[in-house]
Amino acid sequence: MEGKYEFEKKFRDQVLRCSSCGFCRAVCPVFGLTKRPAFNARGKMLVLKEVMDGNIELDDQLIETLFQCTTCASCSEQCPSGVQPPEIMKQVRKDMVHKGSCHPVFEGMNQILQEHTNIYAEDEPEDFERARNKKAEYVFFIGCVGSYREDEATMATLDILDHLKVDYTLIDEVCCSGALEDVGFEINGRLAEKNVELILETGAKAVITGCPYCSRTFNGKPQYQGLKDAGVEIIHISQFLKDFDLGVKTDKAVTYHDPCDLGRHCDIYEEPRETIRKIAPNFVEMRHNRADALCCGAGGGVRGAFAKNSIAMARRRLEEVEEAGAEIVLTECNSCVHNLNNAKLRAQKFKIYTTSQFLWQLLEEQD
Amino acid sequence: MDTTIKQSLKEIVGEENFTDSLIDLIAYSKDSSEHHHRPDVALWPVNTEQISAIMKLASREKFPIVPRGAGTSLAGLAVPEQGGIILDLGRMDKIIDVNIEDRLVVVQPGVVYADLDRALAPYGFFFPPDPASGAVCTLGGNVATNAGGIKGAKYGTTKDYVLALEVVLPDGRILHTGSKCMKSVSGYDLTKLLVGSEGTLGIVTEITLKINPKPPLISTSMATFENLEDAGRAVNQIMYSGILPSALEVVDQQTLRVINENTDLGLPVVEALLVAETDGYTKDETVFQMEKIIEIFKKNNASSVKYADEKELAEALWTARKSSYGVLARINNNLLVEDLAVPISKVPDMLRAISDIAMKHDVKMPTVGHAGDGNLHPVICFDGTDPREVKRVEEASTELFEKVIELGGTLTGEHGIGLAKIPFMGLEHDEISMDIMRSIKRLFDPDNILNPGKMGLEE
Repeated sequence: MEGKYEFEKKFRDQVLRCSSCGFCRAVCPVFGLTKRPAFNARGKMLVLKEVMDGNIELDDQLIETLFQCTTCASCSEQCPSGVQPPEIMKQVRKDMVHKGSCHPVFEGMNQILQEHTNIYAEDEPEDFERARNKKAEYVFFIGCVGSYREDEATMATLDILDHLKVDYTLIDEVCCSGALEDVGFEINGRLAEKNVELILETGAKAVITGCPYCSRTFNGKPQYQGLKDAGVEIIHISQFLKDFDLGVKTDKAVTYHDPCDLGRHCDIYEEPRETIRKIAPNFVEMRHNRADALCCGAGGGVRGAFAKNSIAMARRRLEEVEEAGAEIVLTECNSCVHNLNNAKLRAQKFKIYTTSQFLWQLLEEQD
Repeated sequence: MDTTIKQSLKEIVGEENFTDSLIDLIAYSKDSSEHHHRPDVALWPVNTEQISAIMKLASREKFPIVPRGAGTSLAGLAVPEQGGIILDLGRMDKIIDVNIEDRLVVVQPGVVYADLDRALAPYGFFFPPDPASGAVCTLGGNVATNAGGIKGAKYGTTKDYVLALEVVLPDGRILHTGSKCMKSVSGYDLTKLLVGSEGTLGIVTEITLKINPKPPLISTSMATFENLEDAGRAVNQIMYSGILPSALEVVDQQTLRVINENTDLGLPVVEALLVAETDGYTKDETVFQMEKIIEIFKKNNASSVKYADEKELAEALWTARKSSYGVLARINNNLLVEDLAVPISKVPDMLRAISDIAMKHDVKMPTVGHAGDGNLHPVICFDGTDPREVKRVEEASTELFEKVIELGGTLTGEHGIGLAKIPFMGLEHDEISMDIMRSIKRLFDPDNILNPGKMGLEE
């Protein structure tokens, strides 16, 4: 059956296949927080069924649910019927934008990337006191959050790469713009071209990204096909670091938060744990870990558009840190670090870092 | 619903616990069944007093109230068929008391089954009736449907554990039933009347549940049978052997075939596959029970028997049973998880009949079930957009339930009547019993405002 919207053409079968069993209630972070069934995947699929049946329009009334999904994919992981709600949501958002219904924050984000080179509209690039755009074996691609919000974490990662004597360069990077695909828009071709061009000019054999989302974008989006064609490998810093032993240790109880973009979306669960186990014999898992990990609440544009709920979701994740009795929370995504730190209460004494940031601290303490 | 009523409702529960947004009305229009109808308003009450005030208003203004837990009903119990108000009890989710000395817990209706299980684990206790939806279903919903699960043969269902209830009646009065005692024959058993009443008599706002110590060890076995009747005889003999397995599950040939068609599991396509589990405090205890069961499997011509005395190794034996829902849920647009029960000795007759009916009407009706208590779940997978197939499914269902009653069975073992089974009520219940049920409904709810249209109570 021909649908009115693009999402129907691509996902009609999946929407119909949702049997409304409600098992997504157990894992959806937005539902877990709000206890409002309209927000979980079943609620969203029911809304889309009514759209497909022609009972309702894709209009502003639906923004609150269809744009409030962190695309964490824990529902896809649990769904007995094999429905992949995040993929459906991304297409639905595009259909809504096409029709003129969009969350204003996302419109703003698209606008910013038309006019600027990063999502924060920062005109002065952060100076990390490293060479840029030179010939090197590796390119280290920082990402917007690492450049403009979690610069200490980025600095620590670069210090480690120096310590390991890795031959790398930074580039005059611009936003990979992958996030636009999540919020109803398309990757910005101008930005993608610039990144591809700068990376290829360095002659690097691989790009190491500090951000798992950038890594996903480079690996999966056609606008970055140029990298693949040139045989450039894309890896996340956690995959790169697992092969090294930095010879440092901590007695502290350490836990690991699986970022959705690295875990459920890329199936990378063990590499970060390998690195952490080498340094932290006292490693503890949170109740929800690996494919079951609770989302920090930042993804899918939710931090920007539904900030209050985003922070509250991060608080729920931090409750599990307390439950596990961890003193240190490590993760592999600057965006998770940023949201979790914003949500941390003063009474919560544990610290939240990226793995490389913590590694560098241990190295410095040792010296 | 007019705006003055909406305003009054907002005043009772607060702006933040009221909604008439389109997205919420759609989300509340359906449960896990095929039925759907939008409510006019949904509320998230947070205490008994609010619910009492809502009921008083509903009685005065005569609008329907439909209580709702996780909305996992497979029979339409939570669908607001006549509109009105959805009372989502999900925000009343406190575990009020865990009292190990008296062997009970007191909970609000919105507590999720899995959360109670987690809270009891450190004490070595559990609440045994474990529905397949345990990760999401709420205890209020379990009480309203008298939910069961795979442990039914040994541990019974929800009704065997509910000691006391706090219930808001349609006129707003607050009823307290039962006691915290393990034994009580004081007056009519109003508690048991309310368990399984599908939200048609009152709104449960507090539940006192008996809990059990949880045996830490299990043994598991799986047996295949070329012949359905052999499997049936084995089930029967196990259940009168003196051993009570903590689970005794059956997977039929249609299910095994469908799993093989859609996965690489390569299961043996036999007429029946049985999985048995025994529990206890020592390995000797679980193994002793399991050896008896395996002996019975073999005596009844099992074509293969596999055995695991550790939890980790048991996983593989459960593959066929536990992967069935996930596979069946993917093969077509619509999924009707049916529910029926027959006397234990009639399990093979029923399985044979299901297979014949499926073939006769050209529908897919793979069946799994809790063989140990005679509770079977034919899962009808069909395309709801094909009217001819829908008609065949309806005809097959009618024949299915006629057969159930002919075998001395019952229309539903654990899912309830709701909307789905109304057409069949007359098959099982005669005019006298329907008359008494309707009188009870009128006594509690003279204006028919609580979950109206359910259970075939309307004349």
